[in-house]
Amino acid sequence: MNKIMYLEFERCIGCRACQAACRECGDHDAKERNYVEHVDFMESRQTFPMMCMQCKDPACARVCPANAIQITEEGVVLSASEEKCIGCRNCTFGCPFGIPKFDFEANKMYKCDMCYDRSKHDIAPMCASVCPSDAIRFIDFDEMQSLRRRRTQLNLVEGKKPTEQDKWKYVPEFFGVYSD
Amino acid sequence: MQQLERSFYSKASMYSFIVVMILIFLMWIGTGQFSHVDIMLFGYVIGSLVFAIGITVRMVSWSLRPATQQMLKRSFVNMRNRKRKKRNITSILKTAVDNIVLQKFIFKRGIYRGITHWLIAWGCLGSFAITFGLTFGWMHFSLIDAETYQMVVMGIPTIKMAADGFLAQMIFEGLNITAMMLLFGVLMALIRRSTNKDVKVTQRPEFDLMPLYILLAVTVTGLVLTVSYKFLGGWMHNYMALIHQITVVLFLVYFPFGKLFHLPIRPMAAGVPMNYQEEVQVDTRGCRRCNTPYSSDDQIADVKEVLGLQSFDLQLADGSYLSDYCPACRRRMRVMKQLNLESSLESPYAPIQTMTDVQVPGFGSPRADAYYDNSKGEKEND
Ligand code: SF4
Ligand code: SF4
Repeated sequence: MNKIMYLEFERCIGCRACQAACRECGDHDAKERNYVEHVDFMESRQTFPMMCMQCKDPACARVCPANAIQITEEGVVLSASEEKCIGCRNCTFGCPFGIPKFDFEANKMYKCDMCYDRSKHDIAPMCASVCPSDAIRFIDFDEMQSLRRRRTQLNLVEGKKPTEQDKWKYVPEFFGVYSD
Repeated sequence: MQQLERSFYSKASMYSFIVVMILIFLMWIGTGQFSHVDIMLFGYVIGSLVFAIGITVRMVSWSLRPATQQMLKRSFVNMRNRKRKKRNITSILKTAVDNIVLQKFIFKRGIYRGITHWLIAWGCLGSFAITFGLTFGWMHFSLIDAETYQMVVMGIPTIKMAADGFLAQMIFEGLNITAMMLLFGVLMALIRRSTNKDVKVTQRPEFDLMPLYILLAVTVTGLVLTVSYKFLGGWMHNYMALIHQITVVLFLVYFPFGKLFHLPIRPMAAGVPMNYQEEVQVDTRGCRRCNTPYSSDDQIADVKEVLGLQSFDLQLADGSYLSDYCPACRRRMRVMKQLNLESSLESPYAPIQTMTDVQVPGFGSPRADAYYDNSKGEKEND
């Protein structure tokens, strides 16, 4: 897999098609795993879609006492293994981006897994395949690089280089799955 | 202890060594200095030893993970706290009954799945209890008079029953009943895994199906043994016993390393109500930004500590940590940073000016097709 999930929050028009699509994905039990929210409802109409960053060193998996969060060889951080998750919600509080959701009834965590069953075959995740405004895209690595180049300054905020630990400070607008 | 540990590669290898030594010592006693080892059962010995080593290694390395250790540490501290006695006892009992005996949460995932799992789980545990109980002599039956049996558990006489009564029948047939439970459970699971489309796309066949096949093999060969001595006068009994033994050894060796390893992990679920959430869905700690309750103080303290131990630096400029905010605020903070929305907006209707000032919302005018052509797109963007 050499495709990248590319998000541009400011392109979001708040139609929630991505959430509807997410509910349709295999094994999602008609529950969406992504978010569409208002940045600040009183100040602006801006909405944003939010998915899992698929961190290389995921905080969610690191704080899970049951070791229930597995990472595939392509780097996708999966939902909790149903048989292991003890339902403590540590992952929800450990994740710097507030991604994992929790099902109190079934006592398990579920989170965006980039539609692993699709993306492992290079098929766009459900959300990216329906987004009408290209706020969510599933694109080639090269295309991502060219888009990114325009945003290079972003990574130079305050003259620092982002690391795995503090990249949230630096507006991580791309994320995805690398084959290497 | 530390000195002892230094003579090994790791804690896991030390504990495995100790466990194996204890097992061999017990066997040495039990078999009269190895004088009457039953060669027919030798497979079980090897299987059990590998099982013991595997479980020890896996449990030790699991409990050494910072997150697991933190959870265990807090649980033990809380268990010793007298003021929490009531909460501890209810948590443990409630988890034991709801999660382990009744497995309510799996029934909530679906009645079919609940029944399947319950049959497999209790079929397995029951068979284990009966086999180990009988083979290690922890329980046996003694005949009091011609009509009455008495069950002796650990040398203590317990209930009496009529030799041909219903209860006695049930107990003597115990292993067959648990085996039938297992058989039905495993078949139900296999049916679900081969027909349900959702499961089919997400399952890892090796990981999810392997334990089912192994269990199926164990159960079927076990039941064939019963059929052989009950109805066929012991026909092929020896061979069948050998085949059964092979499947059981396979099961024992596989257990610590595959999906079935979730069994020893589950009891930790008691730690959730005990340490973090006295009642489900009742949160006590408010978000630093919007004040919505989202967790409890103890849990956030643990999360911070575990993250700190693994050098995640999630502290903000004002000294607060990201985990002090509720997940919704955390998402919003990230986007506001990225979209440069933390300072005041020009106008609520104006387009967003991002940090870089490069990308302005462009969905009003579609991109030219050339943009999506890689070679041209590259030039255009540079
Ligand atoms: S849930 Fe959060 S911590 Fe885990 S991989 Fe996704 S973004 Fe990273
Ligand atoms: S809720 Fe489940 S996946 Fe999340 S940290 Fe707890 S055990 Fe792990």
